[in-house]
Amino acid sequence: MKNDMLAMILAGGQGTRLGKITKTIAKPAVPFGGRYRIIDFTLSNCANSRIGNVGVVTQYQPLTLNRHIGNGASWGLDGIDTGVTILQPFSSSEGSKWFAGTAHAIYQNIDYINDINPQYILILSGDHIYKMDYGEMLETHQKNNASLTIAVIEVPTEEASRFGIMNIDENDRIIEFEEKPENPKSNLASMGIYIFNWERLKNILINSYNKEDNMLDFGQHVIPFYLNSAENVFVHRFEGYWKDVGTIDSLWQSNMDFISPDNELNMRDKGWRVFGKNTISPPHFLTKTASVSHSLIVDGCFVSGKVENSILSSDVQVKENAVIKDSFIMPGAVIGKGAYINRAIVGEHAIIGTDAVIDGTDEIAVVGYSEVIGVKIDEN
Amino acid sequence: MRTNKLCAVLSGIKKFEDLKPLTNKRPLATLPFDCKYRLIDFPLSSIVNASINTIFMIFNEDETQSVFDHLGGGKEWNLDAIQHHYFIHLYQEFLKKKERGEPYYDKLIDYLHKSKSEYTVVMGSKILCNIDLQAVLNVHQNQKNDITVVYKRVPENRIMATDNLLNLSDTGTITGAYLLEDAQERGDAHNLSMEIYMVQTEWLIDLLEKGQMEGSSADLHVIIQSQIQKIKSSAYEYTGYLGNIFDIDSYYQVSMDMLEVNKFNSLLYSNKKIYTKLKNEVPTYYSENSQVKNSHFATGCFIEGNVKNSLLSRKTIIKSGAEVADSIVLPNVSIEENATVKYAILDKNVIVESGAEVIGTPDNIKVVAKGAVVSKEG
Repeated sequence: MKNDMLAMILAGGQGTRLGKITKTIAKPAVPFGGRYRIIDFTLSNCANSRIGNVGVVTQYQPLTLNRHIGNGASWGLDGIDTGVTILQPFSSSEGSKWFAGTAHAIYQNIDYINDINPQYILILSGDHIYKMDYGEMLETHQKNNASLTIAVIEVPTEEASRFGIMNIDENDRIIEFEEKPENPKSNLASMGIYIFNWERLKNILINSYNKEDNMLDFGQHVIPFYLNSAENVFVHRFEGYWKDVGTIDSLWQSNMDFISPDNELNMRDKGWRVFGKNTISPPHFLTKTASVSHSLIVDGCFVSGKVENSILSSDVQVKENAVIKDSFIMPGAVIGKGAYINRAIVGEHAIIGTDAVIDGTDEIAVVGYSEVIGVKIDEN
Repeated sequence: MRTNKLCAVLSGIKKFEDLKPLTNKRPLATLPFDCKYRLIDFPLSSIVNASINTIFMIFNEDETQSVFDHLGGGKEWNLDAIQHHYFIHLYQEFLKKKERGEPYYDKLIDYLHKSKSEYTVVMGSKILCNIDLQAVLNVHQNQKNDITVVYKRVPENRIMATDNLLNLSDTGTITGAYLLEDAQERGDAHNLSMEIYMVQTEWLIDLLEKGQMEGSSADLHVIIQSQIQKIKSSAYEYTGYLGNIFDIDSYYQVSMDMLEVNKFNSLLYSNKKIYTKLKNEVPTYYSENSQVKNSHFATGCFIEGNVKNSLLSRKTIIKSGAEVADSIVLPNVSIEENATVKYAILDKNVIVESGAEVIGTPDNIKVVAKGAVVSKEG
């Protein structure tokens, strides 16, 4: 496929619904599943679909994300004819290029895309957990001779009103698009994944900005324009695990789903591996007083306490008599002696003091990055 | 300008019969250690941590496959950076040239010239340590001797018959070297030479040029060691954790040392990191009924059974009812339902079938060779 299709990952969303979790890092850089960050799933999908060129559009709090992606070597995207390019807003003689929407972010990066000169452009968001072969989607796109293909997933009818819903004809051609409809006519939800013929999209975007009819957003502006212009717009049906981790509850729940070895993501499938950046850490050490059940643990952890139905990310320490239940602990956190943590997300490098209690029985408890809780300062 | 002050020569050619079958197809250098490392990671990391950017390695011709597989492009040790160089040379080339009467150290001499480094550190891969080579260099520069040898005082039961032991003067210069059998006092500790030598590059070139004229050993360690008594040599005492690996028992002992937190911290959690080949494994899963105590685990494992006092490498599968105690498990091993493994070392890709047993004792560690299948019938 190589240069035929360029992937553009929109990783600039603020992720305000994640509160503390996205206060200092972009949502796609939020840790997930022990040794991943959310964007790893999308980047691995690109690598496994043999898409060689990936642009990652960043905006809010991009430092962690940029460091994580680096030159793309962790995903094997640093080859001779492949590459990951981080695209950040910058100022030019025409003014600042802060991105005002998904389509606007693409418009602002036309120079980069022209440089790659792809036939197709794949628009992705960096904040979903799923495994998908974009090559199959491109086949659908080509077979239908479409100018735009939108990936859709069937959602339960009662939830359909939370999504952008596609109404299609018997050939899978999209007739109508409704954003969060009150009375949905179908249960095919847009996954926010689009394949466009680049030449056409480019002309449409340039034309719209020239005429000051600024198309800011794919969902609100570009897709309706395509439908109104009688372009060939088709769906590509996806089946499998797909989760938007946009809220504390969904981030927590999808981590809990992830623990179970028979979860739908099938993480142990060698044919479709999810790559992430490795840390340099020793093997994990479970001491004489440790007790672990139904949990995931990775390198660098040192565990003397009790871990139940939880995920410990890299370099987490769990001291004696500490109890961790139904929780997701991010890298580098320290859980003090006798601490009790239940139904919680504990941020990177947080420190939970001796005997501190973090209880999320009613509502998932969140401890922020580097937050220090219940550490008593010894006056002596 | 501070580039290339120090270059490194790593020689891993000694064969260790007493480590078989673990070293049947790999040099000691690529023997796995503590779930995710190989022995070569330790000298290589010390070299890299000392900002040395050029390395010359010597291995046996039939043992390079695992070396190349492990090192790959050298990325994990930053050996692929534009300023870095590393070379792998075969010991047998030296021997063949020696047989033909040709200058057999020519490639190494050439390397030393081109490295333009004032000092050279020569290392082996048998002795496990995490050493600050810049500190050794500082001492070497202060002492102004031709050789500085790194040593540590080690109890007798952790010394191999052919290890070089050092006599030291009160001022830390080396007054003599001996083997264990020649020791004047037995039952005590000895100053074990760690096969780490800091030398002036010019001096080493001179030694090798003369050596190949006179027909000296083609083994770099032997030729350097032979000089220690002849010239003024100083000693540098290493104070961190040391593991001396030369037979199954010592490999087992040193590995099990890692379950002692202070030794584990000294070797693997110091401010000098140990780098190893990165693998992209999933997190290790512990099931509802798994029981795990006092053990190390790499990623990619799937644990349903009971594990205690053991080291489990990447992709180990332990099915329910299986019991693993006091054992070392190398990568990609399956231990099936209700199998028992005690006081054993299971090499890569071993399968212990359901209900089967591999049971050794503290004095007789059972070793199962790479790829073997252990069945219930025995």
